[in-house]
Amino acid sequence: MKFDVAVVGSGLAALVAARSLQKAGRQPVLIWPGLSSLYFVYATIDVLGYPDSTSKEPVEHPEEAVGRLIRDHPDHPYARAGLPALRDGTRLLVEWLREAGFSWQGSLDRNLLLPTAIGTPKPSCLAPDSMAAGDLQRRDPIIFCGFEGHEDFVPELAASNLSRSWQHPVRALRIRLPRFEPGRQFTSIDVARSFEDAAFRREVANRIRVAMGDKDGVRIGVPAVLGLTHDSEVHAQFQKELGHAVFEIPTLPPSVLGLRLFDRLRKHMQETGVEVIWNAPAHAAEVTDGACRRIHLKSAGRDQQIEAKAYVLALEGAVDGAMRAGVHTTQDPFFHQRLEQSTVPTERTNESLFKAQPFAQVGYHVSDRLQPIGDDGRPLATNVFVAGGAIAGYDPTGTKSRGGLAIATGYRAAQEAIAA
Amino acid sequence: MISDDLEMVTDTVEEQAPVEACTKCTACNTVCPVARNTEIFRGPKYLGPESERYRDQHEASVTAGLDLCSGCKLCEVTCPSQVTIQEYIRRAQNKGAEEKGRTLRDWMLGHTRLLSAFGSMTAPLANFGNRNPLVRWLMEKIVGIHRKRPLPRYQFLTFERWFKRRRTPSATLPARGREATRTVAYFYGCWVNYNERRLGEMVVHVLERNGIQVIVPKQQCCGIPAVVNSNMDLARKYGVENVQRLSGLPENVDIIASSTSCGLMLKHDYDHLLEIDGARPVGARTYDICEYLWMLHEAGELSLDFQPVETRLLYHAPCHLKSHGIGYPATRLLHLIPGVHLEEVDEGCCGISGTFGVKVEKYDLSMKIGSRLFAAVKAAGSDSVLADCETCRLQVEHGTGAQSAHPLEIVARAYGYR
Repeated sequence: MKFDVAVVGSGLAALVAARSLQKAGRQPVLIWPGLSSLYFVYATIDVLGYPDSTSKEPVEHPEEAVGRLIRDHPDHPYARAGLPALRDGTRLLVEWLREAGFSWQGSLDRNLLLPTAIGTPKPSCLAPDSMAAGDLQRRDPIIFCGFEGHEDFVPELAASNLSRSWQHPVRALRIRLPRFEPGRQFTSIDVARSFEDAAFRREVANRIRVAMGDKDGVRIGVPAVLGLTHDSEVHAQFQKELGHAVFEIPTLPPSVLGLRLFDRLRKHMQETGVEVIWNAPAHAAEVTDGACRRIHLKSAGRDQQIEAKAYVLALEGAVDGAMRAGVHTTQDPFFHQRLEQSTVPTERTNESLFKAQPFAQVGYHVSDRLQPIGDDGRPLATNVFVAGGAIAGYDPTGTKSRGGLAIATGYRAAQEAIAA
Repeated sequence: MISDDLEMVTDTVEEQAPVEACTKCTACNTVCPVARNTEIFRGPKYLGPESERYRDQHEASVTAGLDLCSGCKLCEVTCPSQVTIQEYIRRAQNKGAEEKGRTLRDWMLGHTRLLSAFGSMTAPLANFGNRNPLVRWLMEKIVGIHRKRPLPRYQFLTFERWFKRRRTPSATLPARGREATRTVAYFYGCWVNYNERRLGEMVVHVLERNGIQVIVPKQQCCGIPAVVNSNMDLARKYGVENVQRLSGLPENVDIIASSTSCGLMLKHDYDHLLEIDGARPVGARTYDICEYLWMLHEAGELSLDFQPVETRLLYHAPCHLKSHGIGYPATRLLHLIPGVHLEEVDEGCCGISGTFGVKVEKYDLSMKIGSRLFAAVKAAGSDSVLADCETCRLQVEHGTGAQSAHPLEIVARAYGYR
């Protein structure tokens, strides 16, 4: 099949790349090997939360901090993409969110500081309206409210952890949800769906009001379950019924916040004419005379060949098939390059979950135009550009920069694909 | 010392125990239309790979909840690790049915072809019965077919007989002044044969209009109704018959299906799920009709002699089309036709999933799953919805009152078919 530009991947980098191409009047096609972490992990969009993965001091001004990072580390993917790509890409995304019916807050000037499900403060650049009232830079007291039997959010844990780092009153309470009997297993999605029902919502608000007693000027943090598709309406109604500001806290996967974000952007994109090829993991690239002529997809029954002028590889990594890791080697599926990785398996992971993970840094080395490069430093294909998690040599988890990197590299890769 | 040149170990793990490729990421649970609409379904992750690790061929099956899997395959479509989630569920459910037996209703729905052949032979009577409230009440009480679910109309003249009877080749072939360059075998499926012959006629017309010779080999039900009604032996029997007949076709003959689900059986499930010998080469030359026409277009072989079709249409992509991994060829094709204004409604599964939404205990759930799509269709204010799958079309019509058609119908109209 022939297309203008093929964007491989279903994460934020791929969506930003496709949207940039679409806005530039080009005709991208999205090729999906399956869903990415955008669907089940994402909640906020983090540009840079910490200057490096060992730092304890959160970044206040993300754009300024990324500028410093670029000066200090000219090989960092942020440096490859460039600060203008982050700026323009973020503007494009924020406009897109608005067009797709979302209401988000934040800017590159200043990070929000939002509580996580375990009560730690997390610097985030952009967040949905429904989370914004949780900003810990505000001082009004917080009540964390959890639901009996909902194992994804433990309000007592969140409150006790937060009270160690935050100087203002915080407490926890739990209520039993109507319809969700004790002993019954349920997920955030089940509760989120119930919240779309006005009667359910009212009853939950009643129970919370009774449990908290008379309190003025508090804000209430609940796990992110306030609706699946009509979330802004659900959030507004619920605040009104409670008479207090309410904010959502992201929970373990499946992330209702990620689901909302992905579903709506995907829907908007498809309804504005961008085609998606689902269920088509790519497994080879044909390169002649230095350029990629086609890529091969494993489709039902046989290989599909995709021919495009340029390609954006916006896969995440080991999760969605951007690379295949073995005991001794890690290979990429397109060029069958051996990607750099320690030959000693125990050196690929750090014992602490929250430290920089060497395995996460494995990926394509890229040129200053984001082309994947081989051992000799030359592009493997001149018309292929890499975006997002598959780029080597950075740690998005420790620095809280996954979203910003996806935006900057996705946007830049799209610009390169347009120029190619 | 271990050599660095050893084969990638992941290949071995996936071959030895493919279920271990599941990383428990939960993508499948979040997209599953059933899990999104009822709390009693534990979702594809639990019922698929997670339970699979504890399943033992020698032990009695635990089947609780499995029958709520509608078979839409969205879990497999969205799995980043290509785990065959739905196949685990289907196999376990099938084993349970073999141990415990099936209901009369599920036996009947698995034998769609038999049922349809009978319905077609007695068409006026069957159609009357299917619309008679008393008959439907009895059908609900005795068989378990929900009385509100409109059943498809049967037609007395089957596609098979129509094709045999017509003067061949049709007048258009010589008119184009060239010999047929390609020959295709049309796998029309039970739907076209017994319920919508006109769609088959249009497929033949469009292909012949492009100078392609159409042959119609003898064929059996593709087997998907049997698969989803826990009768894999029956599906395999049908599949073996089809594979034998289609394998006998000359090598340069491509196979075309106009039903996304039949096509998927031929392309993928005969080989992968039913493990039928010789199925792979058959699947490798099977094409969805729109996929095929688009391929012709890219090869410069599709006639672009389209008359304008001034119409505003909505397009709903069936779940099983997504499973093909070919994108949305129908939308590309329709954009070639002047006058067509096409909008995509992307609201996921329509909810019917073949025979799933027909069943008395699943009808309400099926309508709930489809409610997002129905609302979007109504909001769009269009009275015509296109979908490549016949049961999606039935569901959209039932849920919205709009008309629906296979996208090919618009192509045929643009070629002047009346």
